[in-house]
Amino acid sequence: MRRLPVYFLLDTSGSMHGEPIQALNNALSGMINTLRADAQALDSLWISILTFDREVKELMPLTELVHFQLPEIICPQSGPTHTGKCLEALHEKIKVEIRRGNETQKGDWKPLVFLFTDGKPSDIQLYRDMVPKIKSLDLGALVGCAAGHLADDTLLKELTDTVVHLDSCDSTTLKTFFKWVSDTIEQGNKSQGTGERVALPDPPSEVIVVI
Amino acid sequence: MNHPIVTVKSIHPNSTATYQYIDDGEPKRGGVKDVYFSPDRKYVVAIFRDKLDFNQKERLKKITTDYLNQIKQKDAGDYYLNEIYRWPTDIIEINGRTGVIVPIYNEKFFFKKGYSSNELIKGNEKNGKWFATSKFRNNQFPLKLDASELGDWLSYFQICVNITRGVKKMHQMGLAHSDLSYNNVLVDPVTKAANIIDLDGLVVHGVYPPEVVGTADFIAPEVLATKHLGKTDPNRKLPKRETDLHALAVLIYMYLLRRHPLKGGKVHDLDTEKDDLLSMGEKALFIENPSDPSNRPKLNQVSKWDLPWADIDKLPYGITGPYLKNLFDQAFITGLHNPILRPPADLWEQALLKTTDLMQPCRNPTCQEKWYVFDNTLSPMCPFCGTKHQGLLPVLDLYFEFKPTVWKPENHRLMVYHNQYLFQWHVNRNVVRNERLSAEEKVPVGYFTFHEGKWMLVNQKLNSLKDVSEGIDISVGSMVELSDGKKILLSKEDGGRLIYVSMANQV
Repeated sequence: MRRLPVYFLLDTSGSMHGEPIQALNNALSGMINTLRADAQALDSLWISILTFDREVKELMPLTELVHFQLPEIICPQSGPTHTGKCLEALHEKIKVEIRRGNETQKGDWKPLVFLFTDGKPSDIQLYRDMVPKIKSLDLGALVGCAAGHLADDTLLKELTDTVVHLDSCDSTTLKTFFKWVSDTIEQGNKSQGTGERVALPDPPSEVIVVI
Repeated sequence: MNHPIVTVKSIHPNSTATYQYIDDGEPKRGGVKDVYFSPDRKYVVAIFRDKLDFNQKERLKKITTDYLNQIKQKDAGDYYLNEIYRWPTDIIEINGRTGVIVPIYNEKFFFKKGYSSNELIKGNEKNGKWFATSKFRNNQFPLKLDASELGDWLSYFQICVNITRGVKKMHQMGLAHSDLSYNNVLVDPVTKAANIIDLDGLVVHGVYPPEVVGTADFIAPEVLATKHLGKTDPNRKLPKRETDLHALAVLIYMYLLRRHPLKGGKVHDLDTEKDDLLSMGEKALFIENPSDPSNRPKLNQVSKWDLPWADIDKLPYGITGPYLKNLFDQAFITGLHNPILRPPADLWEQALLKTTDLMQPCRNPTCQEKWYVFDNTLSPMCPFCGTKHQGLLPVLDLYFEFKPTVWKPENHRLMVYHNQYLFQWHVNRNVVRNERLSAEEKVPVGYFTFHEGKWMLVNQKLNSLKDVSEGIDISVGSMVELSDGKKILLSKEDGGRLIYVSMANQV
């Protein structure tokens, strides 16, 4: 049985406090419900959530979708954004948790990682150190999402070619984004074109994508 | 919230038809189309996200005119258009994008209950994946489907017959579906119905090339093995009739056995993507191949939810009976890498139907599957719950008159159970059991009953039924006992069959 592991790295730094974090909770729970209504997703999907502010927390260890209970995501009123530290934790987790194929056992699908942030890393040195390490992980996809007009795309672009910029953190925008995330996760299950394979579905029209 | 209603117009030159859809900003996204509902929910408007080229539009025009009319005017047109296909009826254009008008699915293809524990999927489409996956019927699985949604094993034979007829018809018309998968076949085990959807990508070999290679799990091995080649490379294999036949075999296997015929334990490459490509493509190997066991599923590696179906020792493909086993062998052993040897749809149809004649109801009232195929042993039992058959079990072998006085077996057997009906297609070999049967031909001509400790055949409509062993005519309204070794002539007319009775389960 191959698992499709999906990691969400969510920014819970001070700037997310208030309405944005509510909108994020709302959008995530909508996405989980969408996935739980999808036979294909239930057959293979495993999800993990890491949050980062000053601390990096494993909010949900890698869990089979059917057992996945979304905890409420909370954030402090202020504090730094330790994105680098979170990437470090992700790197460790992926090395330990992903089943590699061997002679007698099939490996997991390549993990998908969604990094959601509304600011820029406070630990920029560590962040830059982690970029090549994350890139060497052979991920299925790594999507950076910069939310809000303050969010900085340029650092995310050092990490991945797929950066989605959301103009705001309101409920509708986030819902659209996470709908796109679930489409991305479900992609392997759709009809495939005869040409080159496209890795990601068309992004939602409401957000700006930098690729 | 009120969403805008958009009006669109047919692009057929002679048509003034207009259609409407509700633009709620959240269409259902398919692989290549966005799907919107009409305000009266009688049809959907499915709009291609990418601009179509000339050839693609021509294909859609043909599908919505010539091919549609061809189905309408031929035998069983209503059956195909109402029961089997959601056939596109018109083409529209909006802002340079093309769309098709497709009748909406019947209500039975939406979950009435869905999961047994909550209402999360209530009202959602009954995508075939729900029923081709074992976990959703595993009682331990927290999101299992409600028992009221699942039907019994016999339901899936009728579902497979419907799908098979849909494929047969397309192939008879010279069309290939090119993307058969459980996403494109809705099924309803409750009413035993199946609906083939997404018919806008039909392939005519050499005229309209395929737009897609198919959907993972159903793509034929030769298509995957040559996927890396350019579209115009002469060695590139693209979807056509033979690849439909692979997908059809996979669908039937999955609906009846709730596991994938090629997804076993063999590792071909340490890289997951490469391994998957090889195991479904170039190196594809049937998990139940009797002469090469290397791809058998490893039970310590399968999800616990996928038992017992993942266990090919407990539920081997032989439980589908001899006719289907033979076709699975052709599809997944001899024809797996040799497309020309894959069984055509009409053979699947006949094998499925003949297999239903071998079925016995399980006498365990809590058995999940409720029906099983007689396993040709002297003491039959249900493979699903292990309940043994009780009492004598009449087995009727059908014979046809090869030449006067010489009767030959037809490799067709009818297992008797209490209150089972006998039909014209059993009585006369000139009556073929298919979608073209008249209403009159679907009326039973007799039935079997266990009466006062004896198995009897009651004649309802047969004019020349005769107990050949005793030399007695059995008139309408009377009955004849089924006993070991008895020969009964069902009809003296041309094509009339003789049955030979054996009694199984003798103690």
